[in-house]
Amino acid sequence: MMNLSPERRSVSQMPWLLLLATLLTTAVGIYNLASASRPPSAPMWTSQAAYFVVGCLVAAAVAWVDPKLLEKLAVPIYLANLAALVALKFFGHKAKGAESWFVIGPLRVQPAEFMKIGMLLMLAKYFHDDYRPQQPTYGFLRLIPPAVIALVPTALVLVQPDLGTALMMAFTTMTVLLFARPSLPVLLVLGVLALAGVGVLWNDYVRPQPTEERFTVIRHKLKKHQDARITGWLDPTSDLKGSNYHAMQSKIAVGSGGTEGKGWMQGTQTGLRYLPEQHTDFIFSVFAEEQGFLKCLGLLVLYAGILLGALWVAAGAKERFGAFVAVGVAAMIFWQVFENIGMVTGLLPITGITLPLMSYGGSSMVSVMIGIGLLVNVALKRQRSGLG
Amino acid sequence: MIKLGQKSDAKELRPRIVGLGVFFVAGLLVLAVNLYRLMVVRYEEFLALSVDNQFKDVRLRAPRGLIRDRRGEVLVDARPSLDVFITPAFCQKCTAEVLPRLAEVLGWDEAERARVEGLIKSAHGPQRYQPLIAAVDVSRDAFDQLLARQFLLPGVDLEPVPHRSYRAGPTLAHLVGYMNEITQDELSRLNGSAERPPYALGDYIGRRGVERSFEHEVRGTDGWDKHVVNARGEVMRDARGNVLKGAQQLLPQPGNNVVLSIDARLQAEAERAFPGTAGAVVAIETKTGFIRAMVSRPAFDPNEMTGRVSPKRLAQLNQDPLQPMIFRAGAEHYHPGSTFKVVTLLAALQQGIMTPTSQVSCGGGYTLGSRRWRCHNERGHGLVDAKRALQVSCDTYFYRAADLMGIEPIAQMGKAFGLGSVTNLGVAAEVPGVMPDSAYHNKATPGGYTKGMALNTAIGQGDTNVTPLQLAVLYSAIGNKGKVLQPQLVMRLESPDGKVTKTFDPKLVREIPMTDEQHQLLIDALVSVVNEPGGTAFRTRSAEYTVAGKTGTAQVAKLGQVRLKKEQMDYFERDHAWFASFAPAEDPELTVVVLNEHGGHGGSDAAPTAAAVFAKYFELKKADAFALGEDWVAPKPPKPVFVPKPAAPADVSEPALASDVPAPPESTVQAPTPAPTQVPR
Repeated sequence: MMNLSPERRSVSQMPWLLLLATLLTTAVGIYNLASASRPPSAPMWTSQAAYFVVGCLVAAAVAWVDPKLLEKLAVPIYLANLAALVALKFFGHKAKGAESWFVIGPLRVQPAEFMKIGMLLMLAKYFHDDYRPQQPTYGFLRLIPPAVIALVPTALVLVQPDLGTALMMAFTTMTVLLFARPSLPVLLVLGVLALAGVGVLWNDYVRPQPTEERFTVIRHKLKKHQDARITGWLDPTSDLKGSNYHAMQSKIAVGSGGTEGKGWMQGTQTGLRYLPEQHTDFIFSVFAEEQGFLKCLGLLVLYAGILLGALWVAAGAKERFGAFVAVGVAAMIFWQVFENIGMVTGLLPITGITLPLMSYGGSSMVSVMIGIGLLVNVALKRQRSGLG
Repeated sequence: MIKLGQKSDAKELRPRIVGLGVFFVAGLLVLAVNLYRLMVVRYEEFLALSVDNQFKDVRLRAPRGLIRDRRGEVLVDARPSLDVFITPAFCQKCTAEVLPRLAEVLGWDEAERARVEGLIKSAHGPQRYQPLIAAVDVSRDAFDQLLARQFLLPGVDLEPVPHRSYRAGPTLAHLVGYMNEITQDELSRLNGSAERPPYALGDYIGRRGVERSFEHEVRGTDGWDKHVVNARGEVMRDARGNVLKGAQQLLPQPGNNVVLSIDARLQAEAERAFPGTAGAVVAIETKTGFIRAMVSRPAFDPNEMTGRVSPKRLAQLNQDPLQPMIFRAGAEHYHPGSTFKVVTLLAALQQGIMTPTSQVSCGGGYTLGSRRWRCHNERGHGLVDAKRALQVSCDTYFYRAADLMGIEPIAQMGKAFGLGSVTNLGVAAEVPGVMPDSAYHNKATPGGYTKGMALNTAIGQGDTNVTPLQLAVLYSAIGNKGKVLQPQLVMRLESPDGKVTKTFDPKLVREIPMTDEQHQLLIDALVSVVNEPGGTAFRTRSAEYTVAGKTGTAQVAKLGQVRLKKEQMDYFERDHAWFASFAPAEDPELTVVVLNEHGGHGGSDAAPTAAAVFAKYFELKKADAFALGEDWVAPKPPKPVFVPKPAAPADVSEPALASDVPAPPESTVQAPTPAPTQVPR
């Protein structure tokens, strides 16, 4: 191995599984988008293909950056993303009640999509820098800095409001923290907190209502549409014409796909626009309705390929920074997939979140491809090759 | 602290990487299991829901049945009305852009634009998805212009909608009726709790005449279709613009056709020949009661009344002193005047008060107590018998008869002929008229019944009031030897493909007992009115067939209650001209009653119309017989008439023939004329 040329080594160290799964998923996504945006809608799959090309270029650039430089840049990137999120409050474009976009000429940029990456790099840098072989577990004090690193951008995203992305960021952070090996007391406290969360949910939503006014922990603080989503999630048959309409229509789309699916461009729920945001957040319902259960399993296998590919990269990383970046990217993709498909199939409340590589959107595509680029960067281990 | 670039302890991380991998795969498995539950286990349920989702029930309007005349000529059908609809929910920038564009093309004024805007703004909730009618009957040009600009008019639909078309306009308007929008009350009453309600808001429903009486026959049953709709309820079309439909549909059942006994050709002739400003012509089949033609003038246009009448125009129609909305043939009553004398005569004969030969001396009037009732011929008719009395319409003869028998036998006879009660034509509202008897007068007249009232009634004045339709029934009964028939307008109902579903038979109401001698006397007398010199309708006799008839000139007892302009006063004070007749006298087929309201004299202003109708009737009968290859039996011509000097039989108008022409107005009666002082001679 030591005798191989850098080029040969690059080829052998390239995470082929990851790249193949990514390419296939993107291809499926573009094929599916062509149906989701059938006439009279604009044909979005061409733009999506263009975004993918841009994403590949960005990923290649990220992959070839010196990891040392990447590590040095973690703090500035993180701060720049925070600044962008703050600026969004003042210059952002409002759409569907949320300030999520910068409009720059013909482009609409979603800073939250890039914030995720900045946050991951920052977390990885922290866990790399703070590594103490004599003290392998993380106590409360050592977990405060990463908690702050994650909470600040998550809170900024939450107030946009973009609950879906914020939740995804919180879950990703939690995954990374757990991966960093917290101490037993921390685990116990987290377990208690999780139970308390379930308790609150039960108290606020599930428990039979004895009187009109009753004690709720968080319910009264939620916005009406958020409250309705949780209600709808826990009781799918409530308010089918109103707040639960989309959840129901999405389930109808998915369920009516059956084993074989209705066929490409044949989905009635899609064609007649019963699905909200069918080319972005609800893209999976289009796929499920038209392609059926078996191909849905295939898609899940492709995501499993991406995730396991990412973990393979993490396992091969020579230093903690790379491993944590890889785990972070994997966790981000996992939670996005889980949250999105979970919401489309009624397993989770509806929140705005895209399905990686399937949903239409440049920001989403480019941010996922940056993640892939980071994985390739880590995989190539160029810091050991002497090229850097 | 470990420096940058330091080798990490990968082995330390590996177990947790494996754990994470297991967690990820488990997460994806949860998703897969959930997908299995939805897509495989509950597949049928969701498939049904998705099918349910994409279809919307669309009502297919049943074509309304036609109204035809007896020969099949279409009187009422449907035409396309080019209508403009707006669906508020789909109408983006409605008030800012769409309405101004519509206003420009359709030439709306500000008020109309504001009306439509109000209409759109008043729709809330699910109503916003219902198309509203913005304009009806727009011109072909405007329709095409809008079609070409439809991409600029979101939420605007342009459609040719079937609209009821009354081909003959005002002709037969009162009988055929019209339609307009159903009310909320009717909706809840007619729909009940039906699963597929027969009526919807905005539907038209028959309002008068046949349209109303036969609503349930002509309406048909609406069908239903399933149209593919998107989530907003918009109907989807394929690339060629055809509406996408579901597999199942229920076809509409068209309504039945109504066949009237009207002969449109005879109707046209009656309309043409009737000279009056107002009045009625009733032509019914003597032996069956079926109506062949019926004029009620003035009339309204049902095309206008059917959803196209403005409130202003409606007010105008209702305030017109000539009252075009009133069905004069059956829903307005008039003094019958001398046409009533047949009733008095038959009553007198049956009472034995008079015999065919008993004579009354007419000196120009009749004295009862201290009052004198004048005959229309102030010089007197001399000795008159029953036949002569009818022929010259001698009032004195009937005064004498009434004096002898009182009012009851007259009233009884009148009622037996159907006076004082509605004829049950059915398709139109009627008034019963008034056949006064002593009980009536005791109740209605201050001071109660006195014999003078019998005298007035005997000559068709006083409180006696009849509708032209009642008079037609009465004269048919005379021609028919006492058989009183219910008049009918509808002959049969036909299914849309022309099969007869129901036939209406003549309905005998009652039979008035009458001896052959009495019957013959009445016929002879009525024939002499038309066919013998001195008869009041001698001028209108035909050489080809024998008409039996009686003129009447009814004094208008009360002036109209509407305040009138000066030039109208004269009109509304004039007498009503009547002519009631049937032909051929020996075997009557057609009864024609003409009322020329404020028209003048029966012989000159009503009888010619009847003559024209008879002429047309026999002409058509002959033509139809030839067309069908049937035998044509000409009616018996009347007995030749001896006319002293100019032998021309038809046009005898010279005043030299004193007895020939009804020069003196008959029955210019005024009950009661006060005073012995006025009595001449």
